Amino acid sequence: MDFSFTEEQEMLRTSARDFLGKECPKTKVRELEADERGYHPQTWHKMAELGWMGLVIPSEYGGTGGQFMDLVLLLEEMGRNILPSPFFSTVALCSLPILEFGSKGQKEEFLPKVAKGEIILALALTESSATYEASEIRLRATPKGEEYILEGTKLFVNDANVANYLLVATRTGDRENPEEGITLFLVDATSRGIKVEVIPTTAPDKQCQVNFDKVTVSQQNILGEVNQGWEIVEFILQKATILKCAEIIGASQAVLEMSNSYAKERVQFGRPIGSFQAIQHKLADMLIEVDGAKYLVYEAAWKISQGRPSILEVSMAKAKACEVHQRACLDGIQIHGALGFSQDHDIGLYFRRVKAAEFALGDADFHRERIASELGL
Amino acid sequence: MDFEFGEKEEKLRREIRNFVKEELPPGYFSLVAEEESSDEEWEFAMSIAKKLAKRGWLTMAWPKEYGGQGASIWEQAVYGEEVGYWGIPGTSMGVSGVGWVGPSLILFGGEEQRRKYLPLIASGEPDGVWCTAYSEPNAGSDFANIQTRAVREGDEYIINGQKTWTSAAHRARWCWLAAKTDPDAAKKHRGISLFIMDMKSPGITVRPILGYSGVHIINEEFFDNVRVPASNLVGEENKGWYLLMQSLAFERASFGVGLYGSNRRILDEIIKYAKETQCRGKPLSCNPLVRHKLADRAIEVETLKLISYQTLWKTSQGIVPVYEPSRDKAYGDLVMERLAITGTEILGAYSQVPSPSKWAKLRGCVERLYSFAPAMKILSGTDEIERCVIGQFGLGLPKSY
Repeated sequence: MDFSFTEEQEMLRTSARDFLGKECPKTKVRELEADERGYHPQTWHKMAELGWMGLVIPSEYGGTGGQFMDLVLLLEEMGRNILPSPFFSTVALCSLPILEFGSKGQKEEFLPKVAKGEIILALALTESSATYEASEIRLRATPKGEEYILEGTKLFVNDANVANYLLVATRTGDRENPEEGITLFLVDATSRGIKVEVIPTTAPDKQCQVNFDKVTVSQQNILGEVNQGWEIVEFILQKATILKCAEIIGASQAVLEMSNSYAKERVQFGRPIGSFQAIQHKLADMLIEVDGAKYLVYEAAWKISQGRPSILEVSMAKAKACEVHQRACLDGIQIHGALGFSQDHDIGLYFRRVKAAEFALGDADFHRERIASELGL
Repeated sequence: MDFEFGEKEEKLRREIRNFVKEELPPGYFSLVAEEESSDEEWEFAMSIAKKLAKRGWLTMAWPKEYGGQGASIWEQAVYGEEVGYWGIPGTSMGVSGVGWVGPSLILFGGEEQRRKYLPLIASGEPDGVWCTAYSEPNAGSDFANIQTRAVREGDEYIINGQKTWTSAAHRARWCWLAAKTDPDAAKKHRGISLFIMDMKSPGITVRPILGYSGVHIINEEFFDNVRVPASNLVGEENKGWYLLMQSLAFERASFGVGLYGSNRRILDEIIKYAKETQCRGKPLSCNPLVRHKLADRAIEVETLKLISYQTLWKTSQGIVPVYEPSRDKAYGDLVMERLAITGTEILGAYSQVPSPSKWAKLRGCVERLYSFAPAMKILSGTDEIERCVIGQFGLGLPKSY
């Protein structure tokens, strides 16, 4: 039993925190909300130079072959700093499945470019139901000679507006079990027939509608096996989900610290408001819950890093992290009073991103259902 | 990071499970702090305590010279978890001895005190049973407001006053007593001392206070010129407060893994019940509301496990946890309360029936849990006091009371 990170990992955390603090202050976060791309290419390249994109990519594909836990704490720091970037889409949602399921050719084609920060990838999975159920994948891929024709619409695709390639989940077969008959394609985002439109969202981030109007894709671009794509989605639903959880707990920790500092500084009735139990006990609850969520996330991440089945732990972590973060933001704003509602204060930046994190890779109810199944209910 | 026990710990776990099979009646399951309530249960608990002592488990983490095994924190954690899960009785020797009197004496007791009292607790004999007397009619959360007086007279202290809400006082041979030695101290917490009192001393009257469901766990005591040898003062006179805070941290930390174990057991039982019980022609476990609630309870129980482990891990690194025991206690209370409510919702009307009625389900464990949950949120520091500790020492906020 060991609840500590290694010295190298602590160094990675410190350097990530320093870098993000300097490179992406909250003024930059605000600026990027109005930016069409939604990220800063210069920062992106610096991140690649630091080796972040290739952190868990093996050296033969241009990465540094680090551990999964390294990536966990890096995402925790990104979440803490709410870095606007297509890092999660590129690295967590797409490069990990390519590394696991890609052919040698696909790995050689994509991974070195990911590691160098030369390409951005996005996962096009959810459709009009906006859920992560296999039955809801309807975008049709029809074989035609050596190629497939893709026809349909994907919704809430993060970072499709800047992606060079899309990892697209399609329907290729209609069996009784909806999990059979799904095929994943790596599609050039500049292909004829693809139309991307950013959906306005609370955050605001870059969640897109992506239309596929008779898009031609070579069968060479299938990731994994035809009709076996759900296995890859399931892989994403564990590995990427826990990385999203890491982002969330990083953000919760930031909100806790921010609210706690404010409660010490803000004086009313001649005393810091943190000396009132109505405020102090809210913060105590926040600390209890943020600590709890953190260790749930670490446990699940550790299990994944050991290559063990971890559906139960991952789903527990996601359901818990979503709830804890929402509560932390709501209580945090309450502690800040009217200032918490103001655009000038950082806490609103965190609050407006609560829902995006919650709905990414399944909300609490979706994961509760997975937990229930895992418990044998 | 590593979230796994070693082979040594897992071997111990198997041994404890064998012990459960051999020594406890099939399906036996006792809840926290209930063994004191009937003579029959108490006798059985003490018989098990003796067997646990014989195996060296009762006080396994203590140094060998005081009757322990020098076991690691993680072996102790596994033991605590299994004790909670199987509801092994007799493990705390009257709630205080194993959990905090022993660890406190090891940390700051005098050598003579260690040699005398620790082996008694470790033996599992009735002479090693302790109670803890802190609360008084006017000193609950405001612990430092105690009025019970200890006045030095030669080689003795003369104790006068009244204590209340004392668990297991009617079973205890010894009392871990907080008393006022300097009523004129500038700050009231600076005039408090900690004593070991023999419950057989003349002048002690113990009266039962029955819980709302009729169980006899707690008591009130009256001290009328009770003589305690001066050698029974723990630490220095008037400096008991800091020792008491440390003892309370041991007390709160002592709940962690055991509470996880017992909550986990009850959750497992309820899950099994939901799968086996039909409702409108389908198992209850198919009902989305039932699934949703049980999933939440499972998350909470797992969270309780992890924060309790984290506190132990900190201790294993030689760091004294400051706010963590309060965090774990406050969270454990919440987990227990929610599980109790969910349990009653799933068992429905049957959740009101205690064992051994033929209508009791799951041996009445949900009925007992629901009855006891409110007490859990008060004992050893109310949830509100725990949040004050977390605020002050975990978050660095100003004192709020």
